[in-house]
Amino acid sequence: MSESLSPPGGEQPPVRSQRPPFLTPAISLLVCAAAVAAAVLFAPNDFRLPLAIGASVAALLLTASVTAAVFYRGRARQLTREAHAYRAQADARVAATIAAAQARIAESESGIAALREQVAEQARAAKESENRRAAALAAFAGAAGRMQAASTSMLAELREMEHRHADPKVLADLLELDHRTAQAGRLADSIAVLSGARSGRRWAKPIAMESILRGAMGRVAGYQRVRLRAITEIAIAGHAAEGVMHALAELLDNACNFSPPTTEVHVYAAEVPAGVVITIEDSGLVMSESALRRAESAVTTRRRPTDLSSLSGTRLGLAVVGHLARKHDLTISYRPSAIGGTAVVVVVPRELTTRLERSTTSSRLTPLPATTGPQPAVPPRPAALTQHTPAAVLPTVHQPTAAAQLDTDRSVHEVSAAESGKIGEDSTTSGGLPKRRRGSTLASVHPDGLGAPAAPARPRPPASPNSLAAFQRAVTGRDSGGPAPAAFTNLDPAALTNRGQGSAGDSGTGRGEFGAGARAASLLDGIRRGESRRENDGGTPHLPAPPTSWETDR
Amino acid sequence: MTRPDEDPDRLYTLTGGRSQADSDAFDLVTLVVSECDPVRGMQSEHAAILDMCRAPTAVVEIAAELRLPVGITIILLSDLLAAGKITVRHPEHAARQWNWSPDTTTLEKVLVGLRKL
Repeated sequence: MSESLSPPGGEQPPVRSQRPPFLTPAISLLVCAAAVAAAVLFAPNDFRLPLAIGASVAALLLTASVTAAVFYRGRARQLTREAHAYRAQADARVAATIAAAQARIAESESGIAALREQVAEQARAAKESENRRAAALAAFAGAAGRMQAASTSMLAELREMEHRHADPKVLADLLELDHRTAQAGRLADSIAVLSGARSGRRWAKPIAMESILRGAMGRVAGYQRVRLRAITEIAIAGHAAEGVMHALAELLDNACNFSPPTTEVHVYAAEVPAGVVITIEDSGLVMSESALRRAESAVTTRRRPTDLSSLSGTRLGLAVVGHLARKHDLTISYRPSAIGGTAVVVVVPRELTTRLERSTTSSRLTPLPATTGPQPAVPPRPAALTQHTPAAVLPTVHQPTAAAQLDTDRSVHEVSAAESGKIGEDSTTSGGLPKRRRGSTLASVHPDGLGAPAAPARPRPPASPNSLAAFQRAVTGRDSGGPAPAAFTNLDPAALTNRGQGSAGDSGTGRGEFGAGARAASLLDGIRRGESRRENDGGTPHLPAPPTSWETDR
Repeated sequence: MTRPDEDPDRLYTLTGGRSQADSDAFDLVTLVVSECDPVRGMQSEHAAILDMCRAPTAVVEIAAELRLPVGITIILLSDLLAAGKITVRHPEHAARQWNWSPDTTTLEKVLVGLRKL
């Protein structure tokens, strides 16, 4: 029995030697049998049989109960012992498990410590690489900014040179240089955009859509293949103009690069309720659906900003466009083009657009003042334009009497008067007053020109006599009081006084140089040519003779 | 050096890269008259020239108004001339046409008359 109860697989619990189970009932049976025999022996005879039966039964019962008691006691003892053994066993196991667990805890703690160190190291490395990245980006941004500044100033200087040199060959070279510089500037802009610097220059005023498109066009190599259509009278706000232009330039460059060089790239701009939609359409390779999707996802606004790792080699264009689109909230989509290539549709949001008045659309042109009626206000002119006043003044010197052209002349007078408004005001307050009155009298007597019949007096712009005085001074070469208009201070006095010596050669140089004085001189040369012809015919030198002698001549 | 109000478009984009005019009809003092009104969709410089030249205007003046070099202006003008949108007159032709030549005595008379006003 104890064998079967022993725990399986474990060590045998210590079991004491047990009395054989039959011993207890045998002893108790003997004792009881003796007691029964004694009782039967001493009992009266007639009572012996029942006594023997009862005592036997009692003895049997007693024996059985004693046997059972002894058995169960022994069993209980054994179980207690086994329980002790199990407990000890369990205790040992628990202790072993605890020890093992502790060992593992210690082990994993050391592992954790090692991992922590590793993590710290990696964090350090990550921070270092982040620092490196930031430093590299800052360096790129700085370099790109300087390249941008250099290209901007180079472009401005080239513009100046283009104004200075009229020789077609020189001009062609300058334009070529200009184009190359613009392309280099675009590359600098791209690097600046990708490195997170601000993009290019900022424009103080809204830029007309036409200028935006042409500015974008001027920055790509194949600009001669680009055809602009349907220019809207819309301008892009100055702060976004450069970004939009740059994005369009990149898209145009893509369109030019991925279409045969003999084909044209068409650009349409149209106004829609959402803003301005610009379509760039080429007839090059048709992009596959997946390529379209890929290109679109590169420029879409939903992706996270600037991931430099997604750049592939030298193809920066789409990443730049995507960045600019996110920055300015442009919507860009690709679709197959009807003319056999790919079309890119750019929507510039309405917030970035302003309406452009027609007068400013026709760029720098100021509307000519009406030829009749009072002049309500002097139109504002850019300060730089006053340098060009001689060009406006001098043609009036050239053809002063043709009746039909006097309207023109007068309007030109008024423009020039408006342009040199400041100078005119100066001369009203200084000694030029009498001339002013005479001039206005002339204007009021002959409002429609000398050839027309006299008409009632009409108000004239105040600066008109000033140009008359300028005319006089120019012809006589005499500086008669009051500040001379800027137009004539630039003139070479010799060109005014040495009349009759002018020749076609002079006008040739005047054409070459395009300064204010040179232009004036060249126009005067026109007069001189006419006069020198007259002098050759008649041969009477006139100037420099004092005007008073003319009066006495009469 | 840098003019703050400069426009972003470059000169070669105005002329399509040309630096030499096709025609030699233009001089600094050639008079230009527009023959039609500007239409929508036209290059803005062309529209400006057509606006400006409703009355005869000299080439230098157009260039100054457009703030473009004369060479570039002449290219734009020759495009317009080729398209028949403008006509040109040389001042001497104009003078002959009006039966007027720059007579110095007339000029003197004008000047004297002006002084007497």
